[in-house]
This record gives sequence, C-alpha cells and structure tokens, in this order.
Amino acid sequence: MITPARVSALVFTFAALLAGPSSAAEDVAVLKDLTAVIVLLGLPCEQVVSAKQQADNSHIATCKNGMRYRVFVNAEGRVVAQKL
Amino acid sequence: MESTPIPSYPFVPIPVEPNRTQPRKHRDRNMTPTARHVGILCIAFAAGCASVKEAPPVVLAQPGPLQVAPSLVAPGPHSIVAAEPPGIAAKEKSNVAPIRTDISQSTDKVARPSAKPLAKLPAAAVAAEQVPKNVTPAPVAKTLEPPLDVAALKLRLRDTNAIGVLTKLALKNQVDDLLKQFRSRYLTGQKTSVANLRQPYDLLVLKVLTLIQDGDPPLARTISGSREAIWGILADPEQFKLVS
Repeated sequence: MITPARVSALVFTFAALLAGPSSAAEDVAVLKDLTAVIVLLGLPCEQVVSAKQQADNSHIATCKNGMRYRVFVNAEGRVVAQKL
Repeated sequence: MESTPIPSYPFVPIPVEPNRTQPRKHRDRNMTPTARHVGILCIAFAAGCASVKEAPPVVLAQPGPLQVAPSLVAPGPHSIVAAEPPGIAAKEKSNVAPIRTDISQSTDKVARPSAKPLAKLPAAAVAAEQVPKNVTPAPVAKTLEPPLDVAALKLRLRDTNAIGVLTKLALKNQVDDLLKQFRSRYLTGQKTSVANLRQPYDLLVLKVLTLIQDGDPPLARTISGSREAIWGILADPEQFKLVS
C-alpha cells in the first residue's frame, strides 16, 4: 500500500536529485574549454556543441559547423586537436 | 451593617473547537493527501529549478580578428612605469616634486568645510581650498601602480576559473614555445631579432585577454597593465635569464 509518508519520501528524494549540482553545468564548462582549446590552436570551430570523453584527457568534440576533433594531451604534455 | 451573601454561579464549561486544542499534526489531516502531494511536488520542482543556473552562450570563437575590450588594451609603452628606460625615469624623478602622501588627507580636510555655507568661511580657508588644484595628480597615480610580480601573476592565471584546464595547458604550451624562441635568439646572439618576437608576444597576450576578460576581468586588467613590463623583462637578456 502506498502511504502518504512513502509518497513524501519519494518526492523528497526527487527534489534532492533535482536540487543537487547538475552535471549540465559541468558539461557546459567542458564544451567551453574545448571550444577555447580548438580556437586557440587556430582551428575552425565556432562553438563545440557536443563532446564525448574517451579517456582522462581525451575528448571527441563536435563543432557547430559539423567539424569533429579529437582533443587530447599527448605524451609531451601538449594539447592537440586532431581533425577527424 | 448587613452582610450580603455572595451568589454562587453554576459552572458552565465553554465549548472549545477541537482543532485549536489538538496538536498541529492532527489538524493537518483536514488537508487532503492529494493537495499535500501537489504542494510538495511544487516545492520540489521549484527547488530543482532554482539550483540550475542557465549558462550563458559560449561566444569564444570569433571568425574575425580577436576582440579585446578597449579598456584592457594599454595605450602605449609610456603608460607603464616599469617599462620606461631608466634614463627617462631618472629625468622625470628629478623634475617632479617630491611625492606628497598626505594629499588625500589634506583634500579631505578641505572638502569637508566646503559643505558649510561659503559666507561663513574665512578667506584663508578659501585660499586653502584652491591649493590642491595646483598639485598635479600624475606622480601620485604613478606611484600607486604596483610593481610587476610575475610569480603572483602566474599563480593567479593558474588558479583562475575563467578558463578550463585544457585551455590553460594549451596556453602554457604557447607561452613555452615563445620563451623557447627568446632563449634560442639569446643563445645565438641575435639580440636585434628579439624585436621580431614582439608581434607573436602581443598576439599571445591578446589571446589570453580574450579568454579571461569575461570570466576574470581583474586578472585581465592586471595582465593588460603588465604587458609592457613583461615585454621589458623578455626583451632584456639579463632579466630574461633571471626569470627563466
């Protein structure tokens, strides 16, 4: 039987999930970071619209213009954006 | 004197509403469960929406040339004290009167009486009010400019949240590349060709300013103000050796 107490508990759980720091903000920061890196390296990319993390320091970034780049830190510690 | 008997009244209990005497939790039972749940849901959604901060649109990439706020760009090499050649600085010091540190206090003292009606002011006070106008503020402004602290600037750049980790690393790579070029020129003894590195240096500074001017304006202002001073260090082989 669903008691009001249980319903309240469920509602508060959902509220806690919603009120907590969302990962969307982190995603936006990553997209911004990747955009800045690609532009800093002089490659054409208006804005990174989506990114997929492959490893710790490796992302596949998709730009607004459709270009895709693999952004990673190479063995020498340099940030590289490789066109895919 | 006759004593009057006190009339006795029968005890009549006053009827009390049951809800007011009962605890709060019993009163809440009057609210229907559906209404309560709807209320809780509304509060939950409001709380959830309140925490999500809408991120501003990312406008980092610019198809045209880099755009830096005009306030961040230093007007010229003579605006920075540290970048001035020592000869010019010495001449200016000899021409300029000694710096008055009590100017702000004296102007305060003069400014306060001016709030009173002028008719009550003695002639001496009016004369004193005119004295600070002759004082040139330029030397004071120059002395207030803090000296360049490269280590602190580096630390601030490292700790700023205006740019991400990858961007910081990419910037560091480019700074290292530029420093390598300076080093190689000094090693080969091509001191005149160091001037050719001014353009890449300016470009790199503009890149940094573009990246941080929105997220960390104070740092952007500091970097912009230190541009000539940093160039002064880079262009001088001895100072460059000390830094690198």
